[in-house]
Amino acid sequence: MKRIWLQRLTAFDRKLVLLLSALVFLSFLVPLRQEAGARLLVESGDKTLFVASLDQPQLVELSGPLGLTRFEIKDGAVRVLSSPCPNKICIGLGAARHSGDLLACVPNRLVFRIAGKSAEGQGYDLLSR
Amino acid sequence: MFARPQWVILLLLVVAGLVWWRAPGGERQLVRTALIMGTLVELKVFGTNEDELERATAAAFAEMRRVEALLTSYRPESEISRLSRAAGPFIVSEETAALLQRGQLLARQTGGAFDLTLGQLKQVWGIESDRPLVPSQAELQAALTAIGPEALQIEGRSVSKRSAELQVELGGIAKGYAVDRVLEMLRQAGVTSAAVNAGGDIGLLGAKQGQPWRIAIQHPRKTGELLTVLPLVNRAVVTSGDYERYFERNGIRYHHIFDPRTGSPARGCQSVTVVAADAATADALATAAFVLGPQQGLRLLERLPEVEGLLVGRDGGIFQTSGLQREEP
Repeated sequence: MKRIWLQRLTAFDRKLVLLLSALVFLSFLVPLRQEAGARLLVESGDKTLFVASLDQPQLVELSGPLGLTRFEIKDGAVRVLSSPCPNKICIGLGAARHSGDLLACVPNRLVFRIAGKSAEGQGYDLLSR
Repeated sequence: MFARPQWVILLLLVVAGLVWWRAPGGERQLVRTALIMGTLVELKVFGTNEDELERATAAAFAEMRRVEALLTSYRPESEISRLSRAAGPFIVSEETAALLQRGQLLARQTGGAFDLTLGQLKQVWGIESDRPLVPSQAELQAALTAIGPEALQIEGRSVSKRSAELQVELGGIAKGYAVDRVLEMLRQAGVTSAAVNAGGDIGLLGAKQGQPWRIAIQHPRKTGELLTVLPLVNRAVVTSGDYERYFERNGIRYHHIFDPRTGSPARGCQSVTVVAADAATADALATAAFVLGPQQGLRLLERLPEVEGLLVGRDGGIFQTSGLQREEP
């Protein structure tokens, strides 16, 4: 029985089946790859100034209207280390590590956003503080 | 069993089915952020038409910027700044007059713990400048002269101050009001599920895909840890705390929530979270309950309809209203 329907497929049909199967398989892999690790995006206005994986520790300095804001990616989280803003609220906010977490240095116009899938679920939609 | 063309058609149908199954569902979430009113504003909106959602969020942010230009004291040309500079009766917009009246009502309901007239006090502390300082007792007394719930006389659009030097400051209500305006703009645009978070002042429109929104409350002393999670629908949540805007002198922490009775930072609480029907009310009540301290603050929140609260006392003790539903984080 199997042989009969296989015999009806031409070489082109088989290639087509293989190609489509491969495309379907890849379509499952691509989003999985995008969500494998959390990413940090630093934005200012409509521009994205910096993107990095939270898996790669590093120290970074970015410039805003007031001067340099220095931040650190370490242990799967980002935290602001120093900033030229007057009240240093961005430093006091601590670390951001979960997808959807936000930090901001408002006077220096920098927004730190965690995107992608983090290891732990955030468990909430919004944070009141 | 099947002819060759039928196999190809069957295969294409299978592929189409898989693609349809992999495609995002009907309702999408759009998340946008902006820096407005000196804080980070995050907007989460659900809907089916992404273009409409984009337009609605853009209009919502524009509305918030309009409110910022109207009501904030750090904009010299705002109505509130001009009212503060006015020596005699000053005509404001109907919108500003209505908000001042609401604020005055809340000031009376809280026995003056919430106050619209602490602008001078904020200035002498320099709490939002890069050089905050601890003022002298004489400076504090001067800044407290003529303040209080009856310090403004509002008749229609005309506002008179009890003293020409009185500085109006809507910091304890304007951000909440802006959040309410954002939700109203989204509602008018046909959005039925949205959340806005303006630096901790949160407004919720409807539910999140049929489930309550889960609002986490920051622990006031353990950075990065949560105190609790509140499941909420169609409510506003505001937290006032002593842990973000403060400075230290000689080992003493001076934060930004001032007690109108003393002119100094209120010392009874570490944080207060208020849940109310609208964010302007929640904003003002969170400040008032913080000033009153945990016991008096709790009594205030218990006696007001449609209001719940969670207060953390200065020693870390937790007080909550009888109707508050919360979950472990």
